[in-house]
Amino acid sequence: MRLLAMESEQFENGDVRGWLPVTPMFTGPDGGPRIGAIGMLVDALGGMRSITAAAPEWAFTADMSLHLLPTGPIERLQADIRVLRRGRRTLVLEAELSADGDRPAGLALLTFAVVPRPDHLVNIVIDTSPGRRTMSRLEGDQEPPADYHRELGFIEESTGIVMVELRPEVGNTVGALHGGVHTALIDEAAASLGRTLLGPTATTTDIHLAFMELGFTGPMRAEATLLGHPDPAADRVGAVVQVLDGNDRVCSYATVEVSAP
Amino acid sequence: MNDRPEPSFGSGEMRGIGMSHYLPMPVIEIGDGSAPLPTTRGIFTAPEHLLDSDGRLETGMLASLTDSIGGMTSGLSCLPDWIVTTNLSLRRSPDTLQGPQGTGDLTINTQVMRRGRSSVVTRSSVSDADGHDVATSWVTCAVLTPAGGPPPFTRPVRMNDHERSDDPLFELPPEQFFSLEGGSRPGEILLHPAIHLRNPWGILHGGSVAHLLDTAARCVVADRIEPGPTPGIIVSDLVIHFMNPGREGPILAEASVVGRKGRDVLVRVTARDQGAEGRLMNAAAMTVRVL
Repeated sequence: MRLLAMESEQFENGDVRGWLPVTPMFTGPDGGPRIGAIGMLVDALGGMRSITAAAPEWAFTADMSLHLLPTGPIERLQADIRVLRRGRRTLVLEAELSADGDRPAGLALLTFAVVPRPDHLVNIVIDTSPGRRTMSRLEGDQEPPADYHRELGFIEESTGIVMVELRPEVGNTVGALHGGVHTALIDEAAASLGRTLLGPTATTTDIHLAFMELGFTGPMRAEATLLGHPDPAADRVGAVVQVLDGNDRVCSYATVEVSAP
Repeated sequence: MNDRPEPSFGSGEMRGIGMSHYLPMPVIEIGDGSAPLPTTRGIFTAPEHLLDSDGRLETGMLASLTDSIGGMTSGLSCLPDWIVTTNLSLRRSPDTLQGPQGTGDLTINTQVMRRGRSSVVTRSSVSDADGHDVATSWVTCAVLTPAGGPPPFTRPVRMNDHERSDDPLFELPPEQFFSLEGGSRPGEILLHPAIHLRNPWGILHGGSVAHLLDTAARCVVADRIEPGPTPGIIVSDLVIHFMNPGREGPILAEASVVGRKGRDVLVRVTARDQGAEGRLMNAAAMTVRVL
């Protein structure tokens, strides 16, 4: 997360806006940000928004859909998060994505499960006061890596199969695989399958993702399998991607579309 | 209608069975009915008046089928509690959006993937008579204790294995069966929640909502006000969040274009219950493909 150097702003009503500076370490063939990095932003901002919306209870991401529009090269991606519904047991959020603040870049919808605040978080105070803040930053003399997914430790084992060891850098507050890393892992596995079928410009353009279990046992791996056959124009494929833990338990389940413009 | 009617499981009235006659799909449970994570199979026999000129079922009605079988299968894992669908995702295989593949009768294999304390995740795979992948879908459901209890089941389950009704209601084209009406601009569609569009608890069936939202999305792309077929325009994937039930009506769906990517249009759709102070029922994101 630190490598993405994201920023956020919380408003009086609790809504959240955030920015992802776009650098070559996570751009796709068209120069726009990859869906995995955008998933990191949306998941993180959604988590921030859920703190005030779910209070005094807590909330975990249960599912997330991301639909991207092509942006080409941009300087930063913006996400505006708002609450659609706060029910007794679920919280539904929407994120509007825009490129450089003025062009539509996509849409995300998230469900959070509202639960009693876990014991280890009971005494934690999180600053949700209005204002702008840096969510993550590089260390003072740290150079940004050339490839974000490689820096995370992703290894393409074979076509459509990508693994990552469960290290603190890819974990969440309880030591399980971070929700945003699920998205990036799914993106990489889907793009791997897509590159084989569509060529080197294949890019994951949308994800429907259901989180099922916390992944505590590594290595974690994402496996993408083709849905049907490629489009007759050979410019897109659909796929199912599962993220499994070291015990072969399904931790998240997604369907994706990969296209090659 | 009062806010919480007694449930009806089809004993002599249309509520709870209307959708199963319009979208006929006998469902069987695989195995002896004791599996903690049940598996089911539905066979959809496609009535001609529901299909496009290629013989293809519209995506919203396909989602209605996966909502029905996915919800029922999720519910089996929760008995004696029951479920309510909270999120429905469906993605069509890109090679079955046009041409002969993915048309006609369909088989839907469904499996509960996770049964937690408060939620269930279930997936469905849809294939055509030749075994081609047509679509994949997942639903998430919240576990609840329903008023009047769950539907009565004998395990392993066999359901909807009834004679097809000859009521002319079930021969109507979709825009009439679902009581749709054009709104004030393309992408605005009203649904009047007739009794046959409700589930056993009197709430608008999730499948009715799926068709309404699909219609609004296609119409905003086709720039047409009146609901109906939109040849050459099809929803290729959808995500629908179910946030509040539809009880009163009319239900107003509003679709708006977020942006375009080649042949695809990203559309945001909401549904509100106009009879319940415009309460937000659903939010959805859909990709509409212009063939």
